[in-house]
Amino acid sequence: MRLWLKRLYRLYFQSDPFKAGLCLLAALTGVSILLGLAWLLGKALWDLGISAWGVDFLRLVLGALWVLLVLFGNALLLVWVERKVAGHMQWRIGPKEVGPFGLLQSIADAVKLMGKELVSPRYVDKPLYLLAPFLIFMPCVVVLLVIPFDPHLQIRDINVGIVLILAFSSLTSIAVFMAGWGSVNKYSLLGGMRSISQQIAYEIPMVLSIVPVVMLSGSLSLKGIVEAQKVPYLLLQPVAFFIYLISAVAEVNRTPFDLPEAESELVAGYHIEYSGMRFAMFFLAEYTNLFIVSALLTTFFLAGYKGPWLPGWAWFFIKTYLVVFVIMWFRWTFPRVRFDQLLNFSWKFLIPLAMLNLVVTGGVLKL
Amino acid sequence: MVAEGLLRDLDAIGCVVEEVPYERKGYWFDVKAQKEKLPELAGAFDQHGYFVEEVVCVDWREELELLYHFNHWDDPRRFSVRTRVKATDPEVPSIWNIYPGAGWHEREIHEFFGVKFKGHPNLSYLFLHPDIDFYPLRKDFVPVTEEDKRVLLGRFPEGDEESFWLNMGPQHPSTHGVLRLLLKMKGEFIEDMEPVLGYMHRMQEKMAEERSYSQYYPNTARMDYVAPLAFSLCYVLALERCCGIEVPERAQFIRLIAMELNRIASHLLWLGTYLLDLGAATPYFFAFDDREQILDILEGLTGSRLTYCYYRIGGVYEDLNEGFLEAVDRFIQRMKRRLKDYDELVTGNAIFLGRTKGIGVIPKEVARRYGVTGPNLRASGVAFDIRVCEPYDGYRFLKPKVALREEGDSFARYLVRLDEIRASLSLLEEAISKVPEGPYRVEKLPKRPPVGDVFFATEGARGEVGVYIVSDGSDKPYRLKWRSPSFSNFVSFTEIGKGMLIADAVATLGSLDLVVPEMDR
Repeated sequence: MRLWLKRLYRLYFQSDPFKAGLCLLAALTGVSILLGLAWLLGKALWDLGISAWGVDFLRLVLGALWVLLVLFGNALLLVWVERKVAGHMQWRIGPKEVGPFGLLQSIADAVKLMGKELVSPRYVDKPLYLLAPFLIFMPCVVVLLVIPFDPHLQIRDINVGIVLILAFSSLTSIAVFMAGWGSVNKYSLLGGMRSISQQIAYEIPMVLSIVPVVMLSGSLSLKGIVEAQKVPYLLLQPVAFFIYLISAVAEVNRTPFDLPEAESELVAGYHIEYSGMRFAMFFLAEYTNLFIVSALLTTFFLAGYKGPWLPGWAWFFIKTYLVVFVIMWFRWTFPRVRFDQLLNFSWKFLIPLAMLNLVVTGGVLKL
Repeated sequence: MVAEGLLRDLDAIGCVVEEVPYERKGYWFDVKAQKEKLPELAGAFDQHGYFVEEVVCVDWREELELLYHFNHWDDPRRFSVRTRVKATDPEVPSIWNIYPGAGWHEREIHEFFGVKFKGHPNLSYLFLHPDIDFYPLRKDFVPVTEEDKRVLLGRFPEGDEESFWLNMGPQHPSTHGVLRLLLKMKGEFIEDMEPVLGYMHRMQEKMAEERSYSQYYPNTARMDYVAPLAFSLCYVLALERCCGIEVPERAQFIRLIAMELNRIASHLLWLGTYLLDLGAATPYFFAFDDREQILDILEGLTGSRLTYCYYRIGGVYEDLNEGFLEAVDRFIQRMKRRLKDYDELVTGNAIFLGRTKGIGVIPKEVARRYGVTGPNLRASGVAFDIRVCEPYDGYRFLKPKVALREEGDSFARYLVRLDEIRASLSLLEEAISKVPEGPYRVEKLPKRPPVGDVFFATEGARGEVGVYIVSDGSDKPYRLKWRSPSFSNFVSFTEIGKGMLIADAVATLGSLDLVVPEMDR
């Protein structure tokens, strides 16, 4: 144990790219082996005659573990990636001190956030204020359940997967509004109000851009959509792809559409009164949502886990993180739009365009 | 010329107008008026298109003297209107309805001197803390009366059912420093506002009265920490003017080069922070990267990076350091390339255009009534630049090109500042090739300035920086008053900001380029 601590300490202070690469490789191999073992175990138990209920239960437990792994691993990774991307775009280096390439920076930050005092103002609406950070997490978890990471790595393949995703991802804005309202702060209230109208404005083009995909694939299940893609739908539905991309950025409240938390206007928007781990929950949810919309974009338009040579999950993650990178690129190059511009853009441009796209797709399919 | 027509009008009103030597005083005409005639007088100035530069109050113990400096954009010959009131119960008619900008100076004078301005709608605290129970700039201890305290505390108007008060600042990310605005909001629209200044107030003007001229000098660099050299230059030149010191040509060139470098640094800082206000984080780092180069150069020259104490009365502290001119040349070449990058990254961006075009328009008339200066004024289509209109120091040899835009919106202000960087670069290029040899400061200086007053204005990065010094022949200023450009620019926002979205208010406030310590003094 002490030896390990010593090693960690050394890793912490003397970052060595080669060693770091080895560590990463080791970690990846470890995760793969564990997953493989779990799968083998399930299969063995099945062969031994375990009941269907037992397998189901096992899958549920493993699935929950997987969701947690993706949730936290992704958030920790993305915080680091974002800071690195931002740094390099701004002619800086970004975090580099903690761990190799600063990889452990987000873990150090998480520890710091956990150690912080949870300050809650006196006049907050207690139930709303306390519930919001947890509620904002729930849709993330649910949506992760139906995403096909790999042909074999999907926790539940629901035949109305898209409906489930849309229903639950709308819940995020309710959590945001609860936070904004419950904080009893004028800035957070404005943030919450903005969040609601933004969500309504961008949910519609988002749905309208998914409908052509469903029409093309003839399936509401995510796995079905991926399987139906002989070529990525990006080539068949470029307009829908861009509409979805823009709506996705608006959906996860990132620059240029980060109005609910617009730093220079509303200070921090809806999470202005949250500190410590409660704030970290919002932060985590933001990055998980970023991952989810990118994963969905990959699934709908980039043929999900399909791809030559590499295993499916590798393709899936490569594509997803590419999309994540693009969204981060937006954030570090664009200024923020104004609120009325944002709504006008959606109602007067995106929605008619999406409608038109839908009609054209329908017409072509009918022919 | 405009002034002649005005002089006839002033004669008709019945004021004593005296022509004074501009080289010694810094203004052309000295107008003595009775206080009852002030509104009529201001009306005459208004008719001829003058603007108020500043309002000064000087305490002569038995009497208080109020000075109004008027200037004109096309005919920059300064008028100094003075009127005297009894110190026991000072009361003058307010001219805020003619010049709302002067109304804000009146508020300042009211809380610092206790002069009551008849007809002013709001004489509440602007800079001072409500606990202060005396008039701090008076020469004697004068407590605040009960009646006046009520006036001073009547700051916060009542809200109503449909609107709410939003406290923007002093720790708001986009007020850069400690500007505080109370915004009366209706949803996201600003209905009304009440600025609360003074979080950075250090009583610079009282400090000046307590220190000798040279002891006070370092303070001038602490007024505006973004472009401190403009304030130092203004102070130094004012004293040189009233003592009649001729500065060697080399020193004048060195001053000009340092000043222009500082101006570019200030505009770069503005560019970065303004885009940060609009939500774009990346240009901030680019701009600071370039600014860092200037700071390095200026550090080599002056020895410090932020608050320089480099100019001296009668020259500069040290001669140019080795390699300075080459470094400036390298910077000019680099900056020219970088300006193209800024254009590509920012100027054509559709979101940026949408956020700034047609936002926060300052019409010419508003600019005049509020005394808006500097790049903000030039973005409204007025070619008024002290460097050109009243050339001083090195600017007598080298003329800068005046950047001009007609639209008056935030985008025009952005373009004007970029153009000013370009103009400064070409000015620098010219200057470094022409720096003459010779001494860099005067050897012998007079011990103290002669009795009298002097006004001097320079063009800082934010506009017209002015200082008014009254000397009683001792080694300390009797009264020193700064005209701060940010203050004049900011008060115009109280008019144009009404009815705006909060996002636009941020975009407009940022584009005005406010520096709070300079505003508060």
